[in-house]
Amino acid sequence: MVKRTALLALLAAVLVFPAVFTLPFPRHVMIMIFLYGSLAVAWNILAGYCGQISLGHAVFFGIGAYTSTLLVARAGLTPWAGMAAGAALAVVFSQAVAFPVFRLRGHYFAIATIAVGEIVQTLVINWDWAGGARGVFVPIKRPDSLWNFQFHESKALYYYVALGLLLLGLAVTRWLERSRHGYYFRAVREDQQAAASLGVNVAREKHRAIAVSAGLTALGGTFYAQYIFFIDPESVLSLSLSILICLVAVLGGVGTLWGPVVGAAVLVPLSEYTRVWLGGTGRALDVVIYGALIMVIAVLQPAGLVGLAARLGRGRRG
Amino acid sequence: MSQTLAIVLASVLALPALAAAQPREVVLGVVYPMSGPAAQAGVDNKAVFELAAEIANGATDLPFPFYQRLKGMPGLKGAKVRLIFADHQGKPDVGQAEAERLITQEKVTALVGSWHSAVTATMSQAAERHGVPFLNPESSSPGLTRRGFKWFFRTSPHDEHFTQVMFDFFRDFEKKRGVKLKTLGLTYEDTLFGADSGKVMKDLAKKHGYEVVLDIQYRARATSLQSEVQRLKGANPDVWMPTSYQTDAILFTRTMKELDFNPKMIMTQDAGHISPDFIAAVGKDAEGTMSRAPFSTDLIEKRPVARALNVLYSKRAGKDLYDFPARAFTGMMTLLDAINRAGSTAPDAIQKALIATSIPGEQLIMTWDGVKFDETGQNTLVKGIILQLLGGKYHTVYPFDVATKDVLYPIPAWKDRK
Amino acid sequence: MEIVNFAHGEFLMLAMYVAFFAWALGHLDPLLALPLAVLALAALGWATYHGLIRWVLGGPMLAQIFATFGLAVFLRAGAQFLWGVDFRVVQDPWLGGRVALGPVFVGLPQLAASVAALVAFLGLWRFLARSETGVALQATAQDRQAAALMGVDTDRMYALGWALGAGCVGAAGALLAMYFYVFPDVGGTFALLAYVTVALGGFGNVPATLAAGVVVGLVEVFAGLLLAPAIKYAVVFLLYLAIVLWRPQGLFGRW
Repeated sequence: MVKRTALLALLAAVLVFPAVFTLPFPRHVMIMIFLYGSLAVAWNILAGYCGQISLGHAVFFGIGAYTSTLLVARAGLTPWAGMAAGAALAVVFSQAVAFPVFRLRGHYFAIATIAVGEIVQTLVINWDWAGGARGVFVPIKRPDSLWNFQFHESKALYYYVALGLLLLGLAVTRWLERSRHGYYFRAVREDQQAAASLGVNVAREKHRAIAVSAGLTALGGTFYAQYIFFIDPESVLSLSLSILICLVAVLGGVGTLWGPVVGAAVLVPLSEYTRVWLGGTGRALDVVIYGALIMVIAVLQPAGLVGLAARLGRGRRG
Repeated sequence: MSQTLAIVLASVLALPALAAAQPREVVLGVVYPMSGPAAQAGVDNKAVFELAAEIANGATDLPFPFYQRLKGMPGLKGAKVRLIFADHQGKPDVGQAEAERLITQEKVTALVGSWHSAVTATMSQAAERHGVPFLNPESSSPGLTRRGFKWFFRTSPHDEHFTQVMFDFFRDFEKKRGVKLKTLGLTYEDTLFGADSGKVMKDLAKKHGYEVVLDIQYRARATSLQSEVQRLKGANPDVWMPTSYQTDAILFTRTMKELDFNPKMIMTQDAGHISPDFIAAVGKDAEGTMSRAPFSTDLIEKRPVARALNVLYSKRAGKDLYDFPARAFTGMMTLLDAINRAGSTAPDAIQKALIATSIPGEQLIMTWDGVKFDETGQNTLVKGIILQLLGGKYHTVYPFDVATKDVLYPIPAWKDRK
Repeated sequence: MEIVNFAHGEFLMLAMYVAFFAWALGHLDPLLALPLAVLALAALGWATYHGLIRWVLGGPMLAQIFATFGLAVFLRAGAQFLWGVDFRVVQDPWLGGRVALGPVFVGLPQLAASVAALVAFLGLWRFLARSETGVALQATAQDRQAAALMGVDTDRMYALGWALGAGCVGAAGALLAMYFYVFPDVGGTFALLAYVTVALGGFGNVPATLAAGVVVGLVEVFAGLLLAPAIKYAVVFLLYLAIVLWRPQGLFGRW
C-alpha cells in the first residue's frame, strides 16, 4: 500500500515536472533518462529475465531510427508509421539473427551480438541510399505538429512521448513478470537444460524475449531520430551505444522491474551534469569522475542500485 | 569605398539597438570536442579562443588596426567578453543539448562551434530554433550552408572550395611543368568528413576529366592499413588523394614506407595530414605530401598579424599556430567584430552586423581575400592554398604567385632517400 | 577465469605510454622498455584484481562487465587528464625499415613484434601446461570451488592470472609502440579484435588463440585486398559468426 502511494506520487511528480521546469536542459535530461530507461528496460527483458546478454542492441535502435527517418525523408510518411514499421522490421530482424545466435552461450553469445552489430554498422556506412557515413537529416517541418512528430517550440511533448515509451516498456515487463512466459524466461536464465526438461520450449521462449526486446528498442530509435533530427551510423548503430544500454540496466539492477529505470536516473544526470560542470576544461576530468563512480558502484553494490534500495527498505522495516 | 559604406550602413542599422540598455557582459558559448578521439581539436582551439577574448577585452594586445578597433569592445562601451566552454564529445545529441542549455540557461549571445560537421548540424538547428547567431569557423561539409538557415555563418571554405583548389592546381601545374596527370587514387575515411570529401573529389574528377582508378572508403582508426596500401600500390595512380584524420594519416605514411609504395604526388584533404602531430610523428617520411589548406605555418613568417598572434599562441598552447586554431581564431574575431559593430547583444542586431561584415584580407591571419557572407551565410572571400611538406615543414606552393617554394615533383622513391 | 576485461584496450594504451615515455624521457628504445612495460602492467593487473575485481567476483557476471567498463572509461579519461590529447610516436626505433621476404615486404618492427609475440605465446603455454602454478591456475579457471578444496590458494591464482594477462598486454603495447601512434583512445579497436580472436580460438586455450590470431590477421588483410577495405572488419566478424555456428565453443574452446 505504502509502495503504491509512493509510486503514484512519483508518477504525479514526473507528470507535472515540465510545468515546473520550463527550461529545455532539465527537460532534456529527463527525456534522456526516459529514453535510456526505456532502452534498458527493453534490454532487460532479454538479458535480465531471459539471461541472454546482448551487446548489440544498437542494431535494433538503429533499425528504428533509420526506418522512420528514411520513410520520412524519402517517402514523406509520418514518423508514426515509420515507428511502427521500424519496430516490425526490428522484430523480423531479431528473429532472423536469433536462429543462429541463440545456439551460443555466455561470452560466445555476447561476442556474436557485437559481431552482428559491427556488421550492420559497416553495411549502413557503405549504403549510399541510406546516407552512408554522412547520415540522414529529418526534414524540418514547421509549425509543430503531432502528425509530423516534430516539436520545436517546447520540449514538453517530447517529454511525454518519451515518458510514454518508458511506461510502455515497464507495463510490458510487468505483464511478462506475471505471465507464464515470464516464468519460462527466468527458467531459461537459471538453467537451460533444466528448463527444457520441465517442458519449456527454450528456443521459442528466447525468440519471444528478443522479439519484444527488439521491438521496444526500435521505438526508442525512432524517438531519438525525431528528437535530434539527424542520425548517422556512429550515433545510432555503434557498439558504444550497445554497451551504454547494457550499463544503464546493469547499474540499476538486472532482472528487476525498476532496475533499469534507477540506472538511467542515476547514470544520465551523472554524465550530463559532470560534463556541464567540468567538460569545458578540456581535461576530461568529468569522464574520470564518471568512470570512477561506475567502479565504486560496482564494488559496493554488485547486484545493482536496486539491491541497495531493497536493503534500505528492509532495514527500515526491520 | 564599398567597405566604408558597409560599415556606415551597419552602424546606422545598429543605431536603434544602441538606445537599449548597455549590456555589461557579452557571453559567448563555445562548444567543441574536449574529450574522446577528437579532443585535440577542442583543446588546441580553446587556447586561441581565450586569446581572442583577451584581445577584445584589452588584456592582450595585437597591434593591427582591425584588432585595435575591437580593443575593449568600444561599440558596447567596454562590455567584457566572457566565454563559456562546453564539451560535445563528438556526439550530435550532446551538441544539441549543450547548445540549448547555453542559449536558455547561460543566456549566451551567440554560439561558436563545433569542429565535427555532424555536430555543427544539430547545434545550429537549436540556434536557428531559438534565433541565436551561430558562427562556425571550420566544419567543411558543403551542405551546412545549404539549409536555408538565417542564423548560421561559416567563415571557412568548405570541401568544394578546397577540392576545387586541388584541381585548379593540377591544371596549372600540368601547364607549368609540361607533365600530364591522368589517374587519381582516392582513399577516404568512413565518417561524414571522408564521405563528403570523397564525393566531391569524384564529382570534380569527372568534371575535369581525370580517371579515378581506385576509390576506397576505409574504416577510420583501423589497426592496420596494409591492404589499403597494397591496393594503392597495385593501382599506382598518378596522384594519391587521401582524406584522413591524424591517426590514419600517421599509419598510412608508416605503412607506405614498409610496403614500398611510391606515389609521385600526394594531395591530401587537410585534417590529419596537416596536424602538428602528423608532422612530428612522420614528417620526415611524409616529405612531399601536399595538402589544401586555408592556412600555412610558413605564412606565419610572412604575415605580420599571424606572426604576432603565433608568439602569443605558442606561449599559451606550447605549440605553433596551425590550421585548426587559425581558423577558429578567424571565426571568433569575425563574430566579435560583428558584436562590436552591432553595439548590442540583441540577436537581430548581431545578425544584421554579421551580414554586413566586411573584413579586409590583409587584417586576417589567413590568406583569404577577406570575410564577407553571402545570403546562405557562407564566407565568399575564402581562398584555399596548396602546401607541400618540405624538410619537415609545410610551405605554400600554390597559387604560384604567393608560393614560398617550388613544387617537389615527383616525390623521390623510398629507395632513393637517404 | 571467465572474466572479460573491458579495460583490456586501455591496458594496451597504458603499456604504449610506458614505452613512449621510456623513450621520450629515458631515451630507452621500446625493445629495452619492454620488460619495464611488462612489469608495470603486471603490477597494474595485480592491483586491478585486488582493488576492483576481487570485490565483484561474488556478484553476477554482469557486475564484472560494468566494473571493468568503468575502469576503461576511468583510464582513458585519466590518460587524457595526465598526458593530454596529442598523438605521440616513438621516433626512429632501433628496428625500423623493412625486409624483403621473397616478393613480399615486411616491416621490421612488425616482424620483431611477431617473433616476440610468438615467444611470449610459447612461454605462456609452457607455463600453463607444465609448471605447478600454471596447472593450479588452469584448475582455478575451470572450477574455483574444486580448486580451493584441493588446496589451491584461488585468491592468489586470480591475482596471478590478472598480473599475467596484463603483463602480456604490456609486452604487446611496448612492441606496438615501435610502429603505432599512441593517444588515450588508441585501445578500442584492438581490444574488440582481441576479444573476437580469443573467442574464435576458444576461451582457455593458448595455442588456439595463437592460431585464431593468425587467421584474423590474414582474413583482415585479404578481405581488404580482394573485397573492399571498408568491410574488412565486418568480414572478420562474419568469420567469427560462421565458425561459432559450426562450433559454438570456438575452434578449440573448452567452455
